[in-house]
Amino acid sequence: MGSLLDPSLLFFQQDRVRRTIIAAYWAVILLATPLWWNITSIERLPLPAGRVHTETQRALTLPATIQLEPGLVDSKPHIINELQSLLDKRLSNSITANVRVNDQNTSPGVYNLVFWDKEDAVLEGRTLKFPRGTSLTSLSDTIIKLLDPPPTSQDFRIAPYSSRYRLSFTLLNEDASSGSYISGWSVQAALRRYIQPILSRVSDLHNCTIESQIQFHAPLAFEPHKLEDNTTALTAEDLTIFVNTAEWTLSSSTSTDPVLHFALFVPNAERRPVKVIDSRTNTFLLPQWGGVVIYNPGDEQDHLGSDALDQIFPLFAQHLLTLLGVPSVPAGIKTPDALSDWQIDALLRRRAIETNQGARDILKSTVTLVNELENMPVGKVVQDEVQAALSALERLHSLSSKSLTDAARLSSEAYTLASRAFFNPDMLAMLYFPTEHKYAVYTPLFASAVIPLIAAAVRELLAWRKQKAAKAAAPVQ
Amino acid sequence: MQTPSSSAVAVGLVASRLLLATATSATDYLIHDHQLSSPLTSFRNLQEGIYLFNHGINPYSGGVFRHSPLYLSLFATVLPSSKTFASILWTFCDVVGAWALVKIWHARQNVSSTPRDGLIAASYLLNPYLVLPSLALSTSSLENTLTLLSVMFAAQGRASAALLLMAVQFHLSLSTLILIPPLLMLLISTPASSLALPKPFTGSTNRLPALIIEFTAYALGLTAASTLVCNGFSWVPQTWGATLTLPDLTPNPGLWWYFFTEMFDHFRDFFLMVFSVHLLIYVAPVCVKFQYDPLFATFVLAGVLGIFKAYPTLSDPGLFISMISLFPEIYPHLRHPLVTALLHLHAALLLPLFHQLWLMQGTGNANFFYASTLVFACGNGAALIDCVRAGLRLAIGKEVEGMVVIQE
Amino acid sequence: MILLPTLCLLFLTVAAVENESFSEDVALRTLPDGRVATTFTFNTILEKEAPRDPRTLFDDQDESQHYTLFPLSLGQVLREYAVTELHLTLNAGKWDYDKWGYPSEPDVGSGASLWTWMADGAPNSIDARWSGLRNALAGLFCASLGTLDEQRTTSPVIPFAPEGSLPDWGIPHRLRHASLASEHVCTENLTPFLKLLPCKGLSGIASLLNPHRLFDADWHGMGIHVLWDPAVGVQVRMTFQTVTNPLRAGNIRKEDWSFRSLFDRRIERVCPVASSSQVSVGLPSRGMYNLKPEPHHITDNMGHYDLTKDFEPMDVSIKWKNAFEYLLEPITPHPMPISFRRMLHGNSQDRGQLVVTLDNHLDNAIDILYLETMPWMVQFYLHTMTVEHNGSVDNTLLSNLSYIPPVPHAQPATFQVIVTLPAQAHIKLSIDVTKAFLRYTEHPPDAQRGWDLPPAVFMPLDASPLDAKNETLTTYPRGKRIYSSPMLVDLATPDFSMPYNVIIFSCSLVAFLFGTIFNLLTRKWVVLKLDGEKEKEE
Repeated sequence: MGSLLDPSLLFFQQDRVRRTIIAAYWAVILLATPLWWNITSIERLPLPAGRVHTETQRALTLPATIQLEPGLVDSKPHIINELQSLLDKRLSNSITANVRVNDQNTSPGVYNLVFWDKEDAVLEGRTLKFPRGTSLTSLSDTIIKLLDPPPTSQDFRIAPYSSRYRLSFTLLNEDASSGSYISGWSVQAALRRYIQPILSRVSDLHNCTIESQIQFHAPLAFEPHKLEDNTTALTAEDLTIFVNTAEWTLSSSTSTDPVLHFALFVPNAERRPVKVIDSRTNTFLLPQWGGVVIYNPGDEQDHLGSDALDQIFPLFAQHLLTLLGVPSVPAGIKTPDALSDWQIDALLRRRAIETNQGARDILKSTVTLVNELENMPVGKVVQDEVQAALSALERLHSLSSKSLTDAARLSSEAYTLASRAFFNPDMLAMLYFPTEHKYAVYTPLFASAVIPLIAAAVRELLAWRKQKAAKAAAPVQ
Repeated sequence: MQTPSSSAVAVGLVASRLLLATATSATDYLIHDHQLSSPLTSFRNLQEGIYLFNHGINPYSGGVFRHSPLYLSLFATVLPSSKTFASILWTFCDVVGAWALVKIWHARQNVSSTPRDGLIAASYLLNPYLVLPSLALSTSSLENTLTLLSVMFAAQGRASAALLLMAVQFHLSLSTLILIPPLLMLLISTPASSLALPKPFTGSTNRLPALIIEFTAYALGLTAASTLVCNGFSWVPQTWGATLTLPDLTPNPGLWWYFFTEMFDHFRDFFLMVFSVHLLIYVAPVCVKFQYDPLFATFVLAGVLGIFKAYPTLSDPGLFISMISLFPEIYPHLRHPLVTALLHLHAALLLPLFHQLWLMQGTGNANFFYASTLVFACGNGAALIDCVRAGLRLAIGKEVEGMVVIQE
Repeated sequence: MILLPTLCLLFLTVAAVENESFSEDVALRTLPDGRVATTFTFNTILEKEAPRDPRTLFDDQDESQHYTLFPLSLGQVLREYAVTELHLTLNAGKWDYDKWGYPSEPDVGSGASLWTWMADGAPNSIDARWSGLRNALAGLFCASLGTLDEQRTTSPVIPFAPEGSLPDWGIPHRLRHASLASEHVCTENLTPFLKLLPCKGLSGIASLLNPHRLFDADWHGMGIHVLWDPAVGVQVRMTFQTVTNPLRAGNIRKEDWSFRSLFDRRIERVCPVASSSQVSVGLPSRGMYNLKPEPHHITDNMGHYDLTKDFEPMDVSIKWKNAFEYLLEPITPHPMPISFRRMLHGNSQDRGQLVVTLDNHLDNAIDILYLETMPWMVQFYLHTMTVEHNGSVDNTLLSNLSYIPPVPHAQPATFQVIVTLPAQAHIKLSIDVTKAFLRYTEHPPDAQRGWDLPPAVFMPLDASPLDAKNETLTTYPRGKRIYSSPMLVDLATPDFSMPYNVIIFSCSLVAFLFGTIFNLLTRKWVVLKLDGEKEKEE
């Protein structure tokens, strides 16, 4: 015959024991919480949003200095102010001109203005020689056109900026097995003569690799029109479908550098000669892609030597200049140089402004994107690249007034870094992970397991507070 | 020491086990079974590791050998690894385990022999959950024996032996970490039954630091020995790391494998941490609640291990069930022993059946086997909960007409 | 006076142009079982060039590449990753060595197989360059070579010794080999292959490559091999082999074949830049036949046609006078030194047995190197490896075991052993294997199909050349690889519809047990009287 003990007198029912047990459970859970945080958090390193914001507000201004001869200034002292005011009125915001007395040195961004007795306006190096008596307005017009070329309708042909280009020169024989075809060309010599000089002039902006190949079968995708005199004519519509990228094995890079193609097309024997309507030199440019020259060789010709290439490669050089965005010399100005310094400077300015704007846009988009998408991870590489782009932009602003080449270089560096950060593949990792998914995974275990814990803890807390209140209310003996 | 009928019973048991092990070819069928041996305990993996070691290839450079370097050194040098010798060795270990269980019972009752000795030995030697893994040469049988020996030495008050064996057992299986606190409590107090009289802990806590240091020294020594055997630490991620990171998803009767087969990669590490912490979370509460009877605390934690371990085999719940024989005082207070037994029967029949249907015949799929592991976990959980409840209820007294004892 | 320097200049320009050469040929022969084996070979040689030293990868830019005949896209890939030797093959079908003998190009393993030798010493590791190379070639050939990642890459240097020479730069060269047996080959792989040829597929021998007929063949395979020979230069050899059944192809009753019946084309025009363009036909030794047109010259059982001389549109045909004489008994002497079969035994999804049977047809003992590059999903148990010879176990026939264990989710197993086959012996090698259980996310979309295991490679280590009496088959060359067919392994799949269900079930059970034990340990016990009155004694 047993009897039941009073459970409240049992040892293990004491408050002390119970509270220790609940505390032990909670202690383990609280100790494990940082581990949870650590393991499931997505790496989102902070991006310098404040600096990005400041940078996007700042505008880039590139200075240009026009130097006048001291003699001219002495005779007409007001010419400086008049020219200055004309230029300030008409130049865009991103270029500021500063007219002053001749300092004798020219450098990228500093130009000499000289009046002479000849009839023509000539560009020579960084000196502009004008006939005397030209009005200041026409002078300022020309200067503005040289410093800041106005946008033309052909600007869409310029290839988008990249710090590295591959220039791919291809000789395409339409059909080598029917009739005569070209089996070789002295391309390396021609490249050295015509293309290399351009590349060395723009080496501050672009790093270019050159390659060449010969294709022996390059069929056309369409049947061109044959005229009565047996020449084949290519209309403007034909030109849009001329490049048969399906069949022609043109170069594609193993890296992400864009390729500028230069194709020399040799039609097969029956089709020759092939002429492009509207083009005296049988050449056309495909916007942002490259240039094509159509060459009709003689019947016995099977190798293109330097004399043949001397007629072709200047056309390629012209295409290259257009694709790179080198502005052309305004009408009415003559220049003995193939590529004058004014043009290179204008190109540097144009690209600097373009890449600066591009870098700022990309940085702003990156920060906005990262803020909006909570699940997007931001790794160390991305953070480093954004910071490097920002420091390049900051250095750009401090150096832009001193050196145009540095400005262009820093601007392009900032743009490249910003693009790399924005398009970093690691940023996509956790993009499609909805929060409901996370709740569905966590709830079964934690909701059910934690409820008794919470209930017990709350109950104990209330009981403890009641006890304390009761003890405080009870008179102290 | 033992009454004549007791020794006759013992001889009979040992003989029958030996016969089972050597005369039948059960081993060849059972050695592949996933319920009886896990990747951490499989005899085939052990033989493969020894083969690689003997041919100069680091057995821990692949994923097949996950046994501790202690097994490697033992079986590569001292003991041959042929199957017949292993069968005899495993039977011998089981006999030692049964003897240890009887000795624990004696220590608890503080007598040198009781009429129940034979029953207790039989509960270990004839328990199918322990017999089959032993026939399958799963090293979990050796680990059970080590655990029981260590508890026996602790119950007898021999600290060094207990700590050394527990250090070895900790080395072989990382999850036995949770058995160390109750073992230490047992060492500094008595194994005597006081479930009916709960009282605060009466051990001499000033012995505790020395014991902990001794255990740590043993564990570090064994780690050093293992590192020497393997010429480096390549064994750590393969053995202990396997329990924490679950690299091998071979089916077993536990809860982890299918959960982590179907888990998304993003949450995998987190849930591995949760499941490991879950094992640890029981240690302090159980030890605090049952501080007056550390042997019962060991028993409860062995039950927790049997359900929630990373790579369980049938031996782990088997140990728990055999240890129930040490606590006859709780039998009257078990509320649903029949339900538990039926759940176990249900699971024990379905586990091999669905395993066969899924993997051999291809007419079932993984869900069948998974469902039977859930039932098995329910059965073990029911047993554990019932035992804990009975252990607590015992303190209140026997049933009385007209009164009911409940928890609020 | 002016003439001499002009002549010199002309000479120089001509000499400068003349450092690339292209030659092509196609060889056809009738196999003993009536089928026709065709091998197209296209060789482009870049004379006096050497592979790129990987230490120059530190420089920002490579030197300009100017090619006439050499394919620019392939050249770019080779220089970008500083590759010394490259072999890529895309094959479909099973090459029957017992009936067809040894192929002209040795790499006939099914699916895609890529192996390269690259020198160490670049700023990025060889594995990074290997990964870039795979992806670049995947883009170039429209094949899923990007999946040949570290889980399929091994380095078995003995069977895959370099075919050309390795430059002596003082830095070590390393081999990377990977194969994908489940890759399907089709027209979209042939088109980029043809684009790499100077004459594309429009003139010369390459115009015979008609995808409709080629991919209908009993066996077909294309290969791109890049080697370096210090005497010759960098050589790109592109090959296409097919084995066609003329009965099926020509829709006629006899094994007559012609270009028209095999390829539905004939050679209309010769490739103008080919320095040599040849068609070779193996002259059958049994049966009476009529070969049209007459070969230009005959050497030693082969009739040759030189297309660069007096070309007319060409269609070679062989017509048999009587019905084709099939061989009623197996060919003697056997065209290969060994025959083999590789099988996976066992009907359970968790374990099996890999069994390889080898037959030695020679009258002397021979050593075979047996290479397995098994993915980590199939785990070997080497201690169960047994060799049976004449019914009794004889493990002494195995020697020089080299084993790199597989690392789960990371690295395949490289298993290499030398088996000594006694004369005229039949050997059975068996190893127990276990099949892995993969995670839910690791299974491919059609998980129930199984996984393709790459072919095993056998290499007789000192094969003596066969008796050359068997005229329609080539002599087995010393030390060449023999490929087995791929196998399909069936792995256990979890239920793919179940992730949330499993999470809910398991978590609920765990939470239930956890909560119950927590309540047991923390709640207070009370004694109640049963007649309804609550007598709480706290």
